[in-house]
Amino acid sequence: MTDKAPLRDEGGRRHLKVHPDDNVTTILDAETHCTVLGDGLNIRPGIPFGHKVAVTVIRRGEAVVKYGVVIGHALDDIAEGEHVHVHNLA
Amino acid sequence: MSMSTTSPDTISDTCLGIGWARPTRCFAGRPGVRNHVVGLSTVGLTDRIVSLACERVHGSLAVTPSFERGLRGEDAALQARMIDAIVRHPNTGATLIVTQDPRAADVLRARHAELGKPHSVLALLDCAGMDDAVNQAAKALTRLTSEAADLPRAPVRLSDLCVVLECGASDASSAVCANPAIGRFVDGLVAAGGTAIVSETAEFLGAEDVIRRQSASSEIADRILGYLSAKEAMMEADGEDYRGVNPTAENIDAGLTTLTEKTMGAVCKIGRSPFVGALAYGEAPQRPGLHFMDTTFFSPTSITGMALAGGQICLFAIGVFNPSAVPLVPTLKICGNPQTLSAWQDGIDVDVSGLITGADTLDQAAQAISAKIKDVIGGQQTATERWGEGQIILPRTLPAI
Repeated sequence: MTDKAPLRDEGGRRHLKVHPDDNVTTILDAETHCTVLGDGLNIRPGIPFGHKVAVTVIRRGEAVVKYGVVIGHALDDIAEGEHVHVHNLA
Repeated sequence: MSMSTTSPDTISDTCLGIGWARPTRCFAGRPGVRNHVVGLSTVGLTDRIVSLACERVHGSLAVTPSFERGLRGEDAALQARMIDAIVRHPNTGATLIVTQDPRAADVLRARHAELGKPHSVLALLDCAGMDDAVNQAAKALTRLTSEAADLPRAPVRLSDLCVVLECGASDASSAVCANPAIGRFVDGLVAAGGTAIVSETAEFLGAEDVIRRQSASSEIADRILGYLSAKEAMMEADGEDYRGVNPTAENIDAGLTTLTEKTMGAVCKIGRSPFVGALAYGEAPQRPGLHFMDTTFFSPTSITGMALAGGQICLFAIGVFNPSAVPLVPTLKICGNPQTLSAWQDGIDVDVSGLITGADTLDQAAQAISAKIKDVIGGQQTATERWGEGQIILPRTLPAI
């Protein structure tokens, strides 16, 4: 699983990538105005606590991986930093 | 602090402290992490008398599960096995077994004759009045307390432990903090030759691929998946479409997308070890490693099944709060939700909220669990022990006579 601390720093959002194979990370704060993760990845604003963002580009049809497990597949191309939820994952 | 995935502290068969040596006929000699002097009421009729006697004897533990007469088939057999398991449990040092009538007492005496642990059987109808019954029970408990104090000690290593895994009152924090932290601890436990049991069959619906991939053999995977299918068929017969309604609208608002994601929030507490056993309710594991047990989802009932199998310690992930525990099994409540930690601080043992703040890694959270287990083996009470929490609840399959 994560080999380094999930960074939070100067204004970046708190988040946790549970497994090293994951291509999404889970947002763990309510700072929805913030548009950067602690480790520098730019993300969309407005992503609520407990929701996920892509940490890499995920092409339409590709697996979305959390806990090191395929939790579903992308319904559209998902950009790095984009909100991953029921609109683009099934 | 080391950031490596498998730190030396968790992968080696660390000695966690000094517990109690137990006879091999009691759960293969698994050592106790507690040395309880148990007042066991084997029938609901004697529960009050056992409670009163235990109140008089410092350090004794009343186990009064409101057991019934008139049970049939599997239910009767399971209740009898539970009585045996409480007496033989690694964390039980000595037992006063209380029943109603002399004939039942004779049966219990015969069954435990070769136990190899201090015990005594008392029939209520051999006493002369309520006061006499409480006095006799208290006197027996006092004698058993001094016998239990003389029992031999033994080191407790990770490989000696059977750790049972539970979650309840789950939320978004338990899915990414407490359960993954437990999973990381279990990785180290199993690597060191220890044993873990996970249960709550219905909670695994949606994790079928994980079960297939993470089972030591296809036979074990098939048995676990068979338990899942049976549970799903039961729900379907009741007109429930579990897959259709999960994740719920509330779950989706909280960030969940698919049933597999929801399920993994709980299932990730198994870590990465393969399943080496698929156990029926209450069945004891026969080899070290990770085991699945078929239980219902109500936490006291599922922990009871895993205690019946000889589990010595319970790791219980919570999101919001759930107070339950089985009386014999020290239960560590593990929580990562800052609001819950603040409001229910007196009911929680391990704070893994550092995973949310970014202060801690999963390795550090797993080490915090290890450290707390050492403290508990060293005699520190868990929150559930301080509060005297404890339920023994068995599943029921048939109406009683």
